[in-house]
Amino acid sequence: MILRTANLTKQFGGLRAVDAVNLEVKEGTIHSIIGPNGAGKTTLFNMLTGEIPPTRGEVHFQGKNITGLKSYQIARIGIGRSFQQNSLFKNLTVLENVRLAAHIHLGGHFSFLRDFRSYLQPIQQAQKILEEIEILDLADQKAGELSHGAQRALEVALALAADPALILLDEPTSGMSPDETIRMIRLIRKLARQRTMIVIEHNMNLVWSISTTITVLHQGQVIATGTPAEIGEHAEVRKAYLGGYSE
Amino acid sequence: MVEKALGKKKPLVDKEILLFAGLLLLLPFVLPFKSLPAEILIYGLGAVSFNILLGYTGLLSFGQAAFFGGGAYLTGILLIHLGWHPGIILILSGLIGAVFAAIIGYLSIQQVGIYFVMLTLAFNQLAFFLAYQWKSVTGGDDGLMNVPRPDFSILPGLKIPIQSNTEFFLFVWVIFVVSFVLIRRVIHSPFGRILLAIRDNPNRSRAVGYNITLYKLVAFVISGFFTGLAGGLFALFMKMVPITAIELLTSTDFIVMTLLGGTGSLYGPVIGAIVTKIASEILSELWARWLFILGVIFVAFVLFMRGGIWGLGVASWNKWKKGQKEALS
Repeated sequence: MILRTANLTKQFGGLRAVDAVNLEVKEGTIHSIIGPNGAGKTTLFNMLTGEIPPTRGEVHFQGKNITGLKSYQIARIGIGRSFQQNSLFKNLTVLENVRLAAHIHLGGHFSFLRDFRSYLQPIQQAQKILEEIEILDLADQKAGELSHGAQRALEVALALAADPALILLDEPTSGMSPDETIRMIRLIRKLARQRTMIVIEHNMNLVWSISTTITVLHQGQVIATGTPAEIGEHAEVRKAYLGGYSE
Repeated sequence: MVEKALGKKKPLVDKEILLFAGLLLLLPFVLPFKSLPAEILIYGLGAVSFNILLGYTGLLSFGQAAFFGGGAYLTGILLIHLGWHPGIILILSGLIGAVFAAIIGYLSIQQVGIYFVMLTLAFNQLAFFLAYQWKSVTGGDDGLMNVPRPDFSILPGLKIPIQSNTEFFLFVWVIFVVSFVLIRRVIHSPFGRILLAIRDNPNRSRAVGYNITLYKLVAFVISGFFTGLAGGLFALFMKMVPITAIELLTSTDFIVMTLLGGTGSLYGPVIGAIVTKIASEILSELWARWLFILGVIFVAFVLFMRGGIWGLGVASWNKWKKGQKEALS
């Protein structure tokens, strides 16, 4: 078990956005979290990555209790994330975006006596990631000047950059054109082969084709967890969320 | 590809630095005002140090005069009462600037945006009132008078004179250039790149694993060190420490110089210092309300030329080069 939550809860005033969620993510699997808008998916993510503190409950990562750690500490112990809304270093080049994210787990990122270009390892790591994400040809462009699709890809690259043990992707295909979506689905399938990921996604095509496990959230609560086949058969899930969507 | 995306690796000293240092060396020859060149470099150092915070980390600090004044008062007091070697005193003036910056910075970066700005401003006022009230040590309103400027001895019997305008300018020039080289190295280091990342997107910097509070604090300490050093030089330059050295107006001087010159590079603030100091010298002769003119120029730049003088220069240069290329093809 790489990640486990116990009764994880977030209360916003009168609203219980996430309600006693117990999540178990196995190493080497792709675990999708689905649910209608407002189901608490992103709030759950934000608690896993320390962006917001939980009201109650605990998060365990690789056997350690990481509840209450700050987001930068959680990033450092090996959880990388992407955001639903692009959050990039817009004025810096694509390569520099990924290099910055890669350098954190390599030596010398707090040095101020040598030129940053003397540290080759983070640069090579960044190039490797860009090649994998298939945007190496955009390396010298400013992140803010990329197309939306390329920005979404860079968003994923930043999550992967520091070689984390667990990757959280928050709606990687959001706002994409049909063409871009197809490319992103192909990309995530490729990435999924050798990584452990938790993915929030609305695109059912993507969810059904990559997931080992699916958890369905509804009004902050887990209403089902299982393999794609099990979830497809689940009567309550079909009623609450899928409707006529699954075949 | 890497070079196009990240730029060329910069050695500690290169042609760019030599050209820049050489041009600054011309200041006493082209300016008719005798003591102005040294003053320009002192303020230039303060403005460059401020730009580490504004231009590279995105922190608008109104607390710079506390570091500048701290360095100036410490230098004055040590020279008057203990008469230590000015080299040691100048290093100490940098250190006290760094300590003040660590305290004010630590307390201010707990907040962001306008609250951060107001905190730095409030701490600067606090430092000012301390200097104002503590008359026995600082001279209060009258300033700290009669600060000696001893020669700079290197070996027993070998002294570098720093008495005349030219001698003192050269002394300041050496310290300025060394400081500038070091600051440029910091800006191009992995640490400096993280500052840029924080300016661009603090949330993402945190999400990829950087403790941005710590980085901001270290940026403050580095800025405080060089600002304190500039303050120490200022005490030697004036042979006294006026209360204005620690006043909020001195903080705004650095801000105006930096915004006017341009925040996008380390050269911008120096150009801003040159332009404002020369302009104030000329305009104050012509019209008693000269600050008004400077204010209008400043507003025009902030409204219409966000890159400052340096940004304007770079843009025109690129345009000209593009024109040349098109004419050739």
